[in-house]
Amino acid sequence: MWAFLIFGAPGLLVYVCFVLAPILVSVGYSLTNYNPFRPPTRFVGLRNYQLLFDDPEFWNALRVTTTLTLIVVIVPNVLGLLIALLLDRRGWFYNGLRSVFFVPVVLSSVVVSIIWTRMMADDGVINQVLRGLGVADPPGWLSDPDLAVYSIGVILSWQTLGFCVVVYLAGLQGVPRDLLEAAAIDGAGPVLRFRKVTWPLLAPALTINTVVQLISAFKVFDHVQVITNGGPGEGTTASIAFTVLRVGFTANRQGYASAMAIVMLLVIALASALVLKFLQRREVDL
Amino acid sequence: MRKLLSLGVALVVLSACQVNDTAGGSGQGSKEISFLTFETPNLGPEVWDAAIKRVTDKYPDIKVNKLVAPDQDRTAYAKQLLASDQLPDVLVAVSPAGFAESGALAAWTPDELKDFRYPHNGAINGKVYQLPANTQTIPVVYYNKKLFAQAGVTAPPKTYAELLDASAKLKAAGITPFVVGGGKTIHDALGPTFAGILGTEVYAKNPDWMADRRKDKVKFADKDFTRAAAKLADLSAKGYLDKNMLSQDYAATQNAFLTGKGAMYAMGNWFAAAADSPKTKPDFEIGQFFWPSDDGKQVVPAFTGGGLLVSAHAKNLDAAKKFALAYQLDKQNLDTSCTADGLIPAIKDYTPPSDVGPVYKEGYDMFRAAEDAGAVVPAFGFEAGDDGMLVGVPEKWDASMADLVTGRKSPQDVAGFLDTEWEKAS
Repeated sequence: MWAFLIFGAPGLLVYVCFVLAPILVSVGYSLTNYNPFRPPTRFVGLRNYQLLFDDPEFWNALRVTTTLTLIVVIVPNVLGLLIALLLDRRGWFYNGLRSVFFVPVVLSSVVVSIIWTRMMADDGVINQVLRGLGVADPPGWLSDPDLAVYSIGVILSWQTLGFCVVVYLAGLQGVPRDLLEAAAIDGAGPVLRFRKVTWPLLAPALTINTVVQLISAFKVFDHVQVITNGGPGEGTTASIAFTVLRVGFTANRQGYASAMAIVMLLVIALASALVLKFLQRREVDL
Repeated sequence: MRKLLSLGVALVVLSACQVNDTAGGSGQGSKEISFLTFETPNLGPEVWDAAIKRVTDKYPDIKVNKLVAPDQDRTAYAKQLLASDQLPDVLVAVSPAGFAESGALAAWTPDELKDFRYPHNGAINGKVYQLPANTQTIPVVYYNKKLFAQAGVTAPPKTYAELLDASAKLKAAGITPFVVGGGKTIHDALGPTFAGILGTEVYAKNPDWMADRRKDKVKFADKDFTRAAAKLADLSAKGYLDKNMLSQDYAATQNAFLTGKGAMYAMGNWFAAAADSPKTKPDFEIGQFFWPSDDGKQVVPAFTGGGLLVSAHAKNLDAAKKFALAYQLDKQNLDTSCTADGLIPAIKDYTPPSDVGPVYKEGYDMFRAAEDAGAVVPAFGFEAGDDGMLVGVPEKWDASMADLVTGRKSPQDVAGFLDTEWEKAS
């Protein structure tokens, strides 16, 4: 008991101060009409939650976030696995390539957003290349309301791809070579060896990548803020986190924004728990 | 025992150092204030630092800690600082709406406002919280004379029909008629264009439209606003605004005009600073005209305000107010605001310096003539205080412009949406 208090208390204190306490305070705010510019603050019970479920802005934010999450979970996972399979070799060249793929992961999201905003502008490098190839009217990657959310999904996927590659590479390192050799001796080709030996043993890596990507995508804010500010137009790329901040700090309805944040927390927790439970069933023990 | 003694000595030494620091600080008598600024292509850090130094040289007992907003939305940043109890003592060009009502700002007294031409501008519930320091005409339509000549447009348009005609000729000549922008700076990059249209369609007919909206006497869905929204949508539908330009931010938009990527640029008169600056002036001559109305009657949207605000809870409130007034009324700061930011200081007996650039001078003369002719109306979307939209609605107005330009929403849908958002905000 004393050992727990001495060694565990600091970490627990940090967790309580920076995670648990803010969540509890947010729950408290969500039950009020708190607006720092329009006192007094009154207890309103669950009214904020009732308003939320009838609010088209919230449902739009949920739709945008779901779209981004699907892109960011699927694309980096699939491409990450393919790239990891290609890079699962020895040599300085492959080591160098692994570093190249990981660089975007460590870049600031603001830096990444600014770079891609320039590249995807109407007169940016992507459209200049397309015009050079004869495309007379290239897409408005960030100015077309129907396209902008997918453009942000691509940017997020680009930045997180390296993480998935590294996790899959680590997973591939853990596949016993003798199993693959045994399968080869038994006549299994590369595809069959991957399907029956490698892929089942990569289940933990898939679980980690999927859950981490899911949580990151659901919380996306800075890319949206820097690249499109929720536009073009009303809410076309406004994620839930972006909407929470806009409602809380631009419209000053902090009680209502807190309710939105609590719902977002519950959705992320539920989605993560379900995905984790489903994927962990696939994991095999050797 | 020795360890305890050493610890005790160390503690005594540390507290002695603290006492010395405090004594040193109070002995000098300096009053520290924090000042929230923002940076733009026109207003770099050197401009702010020099302006602050001119005041602190006059009042050496005031020490200024300059803060810089992370982007041009300094109002949103100030709100975050207020929420975390860190509102700076002095702020510049932050919308006072919301802050004033919550008691976060100190009101200026009539005596403190005696040197300002429009001492009641931007009042909230009858009190002025932001020094009404500068007038900005929003917009002026700056045009590239070379591209006009190339397209066969011989004179700036005087009516809206002539503007459409000029735009058609420019488009036929392969020239983009209007340079616009969007992204997270859509309020400043596209807002002036819409403000020009709204000036002629809404404010020219009813200068008290916003006050009437606050009293529910008018709605966005009424024909005047809807017609203005339809005009903006029409400009885009005809290809006179390139909707792909919505992805470029304010700086890129300005650069696009200065590098000849479009013929006309509807922008606030602050653009004159870039147009006249040796670093950024273009290789073509710039002309200017006010957004034309249907019948050619002159309508000049303008906003006076934009000055400094002071936190009501500033630790050194008197010093903060002294700094703010001195900063705002300093002749050299005013001269710099003309050349560096193209502003028209709304200070009594002030005239701009003689060495202002030609674009600024022309714009200044045009504004004064319009003022004398009684043609000035508020600039829709750029008002402040009781003259402006309810808190939270301007951001919806910003997003609605993009919906009109992309065709995602009809003018009627946009007007209905803004009325709904207005009700939510009330």
